[in-house]
Amino acid sequence: MLTKLLKYDLKYMIKNMSIFYILGIFFAITTRIFFSLEQSVIVNIIGQISVGCMFSILANILINTIMRSWIRFRDSIYKDEAYLTHTLPVTKNDIYNSKFFQTLIFFIVGFVIIILSLFIAYYTKERWLELRSLISSITTGLEFNTTLFIVSFIAIIFLEVFNAIQCGFLGIILGYRKSNNKIGFSVLFGFIAYLLSQSIVLLLVFIVGLFDSSIMNLFTNNILLDTKSLKILIVLAVIIYLGIILLMSLLCRRELNKGVDIE
Amino acid sequence: MNEMKLLEIKDLNKSFDDKQILKDINLSISEGKIVGLLGKNGAGKTTLIKLINDLLTPTSGTVMIKGEKVGVESKKVISYLPERTYLNKQMKVSEVIDYFADFYDNFDIEKAKKLLIDLDLDINQKLSKMSKGMQEKVQLVLVMSRIADLYILDEPLGGVDPATRDYILDTILTNFNDGASVIISTHLISDIERILDEVIFIDKGKIILQSDADKLRNKEKLSIDEIFRRMFKC
Repeated sequence: MLTKLLKYDLKYMIKNMSIFYILGIFFAITTRIFFSLEQSVIVNIIGQISVGCMFSILANILINTIMRSWIRFRDSIYKDEAYLTHTLPVTKNDIYNSKFFQTLIFFIVGFVIIILSLFIAYYTKERWLELRSLISSITTGLEFNTTLFIVSFIAIIFLEVFNAIQCGFLGIILGYRKSNNKIGFSVLFGFIAYLLSQSIVLLLVFIVGLFDSSIMNLFTNNILLDTKSLKILIVLAVIIYLGIILLMSLLCRRELNKGVDIE
Repeated sequence: MNEMKLLEIKDLNKSFDDKQILKDINLSISEGKIVGLLGKNGAGKTTLIKLINDLLTPTSGTVMIKGEKVGVESKKVISYLPERTYLNKQMKVSEVIDYFADFYDNFDIEKAKKLLIDLDLDINQKLSKMSKGMQEKVQLVLVMSRIADLYILDEPLGGVDPATRDYILDTILTNFNDGASVIISTHLISDIERILDEVIFIDKGKIILQSDADKLRNKEKLSIDEIFRRMFKC
């Protein structure tokens, strides 16, 4: 049943997000075209408009993915559509898992579209070499493998945002238990969940710092981390975020399984 | 030996904050009955129905469907028509039909298509382009196209003209499968009186009467509508 639920959740997101993907790529192409034409005032103005449109659409892809995930979660679990969702012969775990994977998939798709659009708009061999050289100068200085550096960097950002989305889900579940001002309480509980998850990250880093004086420097002074400690911190951050996402998702499932009260 | 009831509710209570909406509900419904859940507006009919359908969580007490607690198995055998439109309005009628066929093994696509034609509904139309009344008819088609054991219809006649009411009642009567039971919640008693086997009167969150419809009529020498009006006189 999870695959069936996921199929319809993905269809919903495709219907709502595809226009942003198309526009993002469209403005990336126009950006490339106008900057490759012989420059004149008009061409330059249109090119700049194109750049502005492209970046606003790309920002929109990220924001819309997050907002749509929350809205879809709220609408199908607590609003009118809930009359259908909760009368389907599926478990509450499947309902939650479907929303979880839908968000995960569209977050990855959005990320790919953003990278693809930037690639279309700005790729030249020279720029590519410049970028590689910049990254490699950073990673060489840090004695880091380039690929591992990029993957870790992207993974931490990705996990951080995904954690925020899940805090939003938990906020909605707890907020909709209240008999009034459900949206206000959802925002409040989501915010508290996010603060708590960030506090857990800090606490765990602090605990590791008790055994590694270099990491403890993060809490006691302004000295930059040494390479070895930076590596430990990056790996630690990935592990902690994965753990928090798992914990948050178990918490959401547990709370949802306690039952709902649909107006 | 105790006969297993299709629906059995024991000591059911539901409160929102300090306000108690349902108080100590006990009732059972056997197979093959058409039951009228009758009460004034705000008596607790919809709350009771929502508890049977897992849309509300009981404060205390149990709801059992064919001997099992409300859950995946009960949802397979209950076909529920809420009192509001709940379908995703971005979908076409054909997509909604596919959706129901995907999730309910007992959904009869051919029957749904036939009912849509009978009710003059376009299968290719988007729900957002339909009037509220048309959307309600689509929902009725979806519910009655399932081969369920228990049909629960919450105010199926609310907001429609008398001619359509008769048509809806006929659709219900001719489309629920043999051996199944139907619970119809309404305050328009005179319209459904003719089809009821049993009646349940609910007032201020309490069941005040559950009886065989004919026995009640014979005992009181009045129609159910008249009995209701007498009992709930303001």
